[in-house]
Amino acid sequence: MTTTTKEAVQPAVVDSVPEERRRRRRSTGEDALFRPRGVFKVIIQILLAIATVITLFPFYAMVIMSFKAPTAMTFPDSLFPTDLTISAYAYVLQSDEMLRWALNTLIYSVVSVVLVLLLSSMAAYAFAKKRFPGRTPMFWMIIAMLMVPYHITLIPLFVMIAGADGVNTYWGLIAPSLANAQAIFLLRQFIIALPDELLEAAKLDGASEIRIFFQVVLPLCKPILATLGLFVFLWHWNDFLWPLIIAQTPEMRVLTTGVSSLMRESQPLNIQLASAALAILPIFIAYLFAQRYFTQGVTMSGMKG
Amino acid sequence: MSWRNRTVRASAIAGLAFVLPAFILFIIFRFVPFIGGFTLAFAERTLGGEFTWVGMDNFERLAADPLFWHSLRVTIAYTLIVVPLTLALATGLALLVRRRFAGVDFFRAAFFMPVITSLVLAGIIFVWIFNAGGPVPRLMEALGLGGQSWITDRLLALPAIALVAAWSAFGYYMLVILARLNEIPREIEEAALVDRANAWARFRYITLPELRQVLFFLSVLSMVGSFQVFDAVYVMTQGGPVNATYTLGFMLYDQAFRFFDFGYASAVAVALFVLVFAITLIQRFLMGREDKA
Repeated sequence: MTTTTKEAVQPAVVDSVPEERRRRRRSTGEDALFRPRGVFKVIIQILLAIATVITLFPFYAMVIMSFKAPTAMTFPDSLFPTDLTISAYAYVLQSDEMLRWALNTLIYSVVSVVLVLLLSSMAAYAFAKKRFPGRTPMFWMIIAMLMVPYHITLIPLFVMIAGADGVNTYWGLIAPSLANAQAIFLLRQFIIALPDELLEAAKLDGASEIRIFFQVVLPLCKPILATLGLFVFLWHWNDFLWPLIIAQTPEMRVLTTGVSSLMRESQPLNIQLASAALAILPIFIAYLFAQRYFTQGVTMSGMKG
Repeated sequence: MSWRNRTVRASAIAGLAFVLPAFILFIIFRFVPFIGGFTLAFAERTLGGEFTWVGMDNFERLAADPLFWHSLRVTIAYTLIVVPLTLALATGLALLVRRRFAGVDFFRAAFFMPVITSLVLAGIIFVWIFNAGGPVPRLMEALGLGGQSWITDRLLALPAIALVAAWSAFGYYMLVILARLNEIPREIEEAALVDRANAWARFRYITLPELRQVLFFLSVLSMVGSFQVFDAVYVMTQGGPVNATYTLGFMLYDQAFRFFDFGYASAVAVALFVLVFAITLIQRFLMGREDKA
């Protein structure tokens, strides 16, 4: 047998490896080379196990204790899956308050995601592909705002929104987060790499500017819009400080501020925990299905908060 | 007007039309409040709700306020716990889940779960975990360290919040470090392996130098975040006990929205801004020096 190509060699080599080891090699790839052995391997496994248990323990405690009666919260008995009751969930799911907070959170998150993605991609497209007066200073002004910590703008924002009667309104809650410098920056990086020929071709076909944007640019941006949208959603779902100061009435609270108000009112622990678990659940479900986008979002760097 | 000029002009008009909605929102909701933040620090809100100029009064009051200096010390102490803890956890665990092995995806996913969880919601269970009778004090009791609640203890409340913050953030930093680890050419490490360099030597002389820059960047990110900590403090301790966890971020909120002293709170915000900005500038300076070297 001549060995001119790699493909010709490989079957013979692989066949000499036992089936079980071959399967392992395939699943772990070349990393098998670095796999620790002996006592080292055991230490690593123990460390990983400890880290995982500590990381997941709060979730376990939260869920298991949300199924306990308020009188059965003494450690360590409260952590055993015995005497479970759904009374806390029955109570929480029947309360209009919790439903309202969930609805508010949904409105806050979904409206913000849609508007941030739309406005940011429009601006990013112009910054990336159009020439117009003031382009560079406008872009740098937006990028400079990336360096400004949120806290310095907090009080003036509140004074402004309050002055425009925006306290305890949806628009007051949503409007300030629509100016998202990170989204514009990341989208511009992406759109600038799109080939000009595609846009030129659409223009020659007589497509209007609006059509080019919606039917050529936006579809090409789908992957980054998905990642970005997910992170904007997550950020709004978990947002706390702004809703805390701007949405003060019980009917206008979101889940984070609502559930923390249960805590401050010293509601029974199982009620607090059931509410918290329900508020976290949608994010976990999203994570389950879109883990890849979460990971991509992190590697795009600096996207948390 | 030539055809060329017309298309250039049409393109400019379209460009402006696409940019302006976002840009106007930026002016209103970022730029004006940014300027406003500095302006309010020189003003005071009267009982009627109007603002009057008070010059440097707020800053003079700040400089003479023991609560501010206390709060600054608390914030620095908190940062000194959180930053090393988070980065050590993130680096260590990134190295452990770096190579593919059976179950690695489970570990990576598990470590990321706290990142996507609201710290406010998780705070409820953490208060139970650190409170008297909860797992942590009971564990300490079993070890003979006394079983007092961390939440109401003046020395332990801040470390409790720092631990919760590290729990919430390390998975994020771990993923960033993992991404950097994947960029290290494997030939270098394979060569070291052939030369029988042990794991520690490979980490010390190959991996760690490669990670230097990303660890530096992440430590700045973590410092900036720690300086502004608010959520965990609000939920777990409300700044207490006896102001033991009264951080600058919490002071800002407390002065503005409990005492409605917007001018004074803005002075706190300016101080916070200067600190965060200084950290960022030092980072830029050091990074720039590194690039030239």
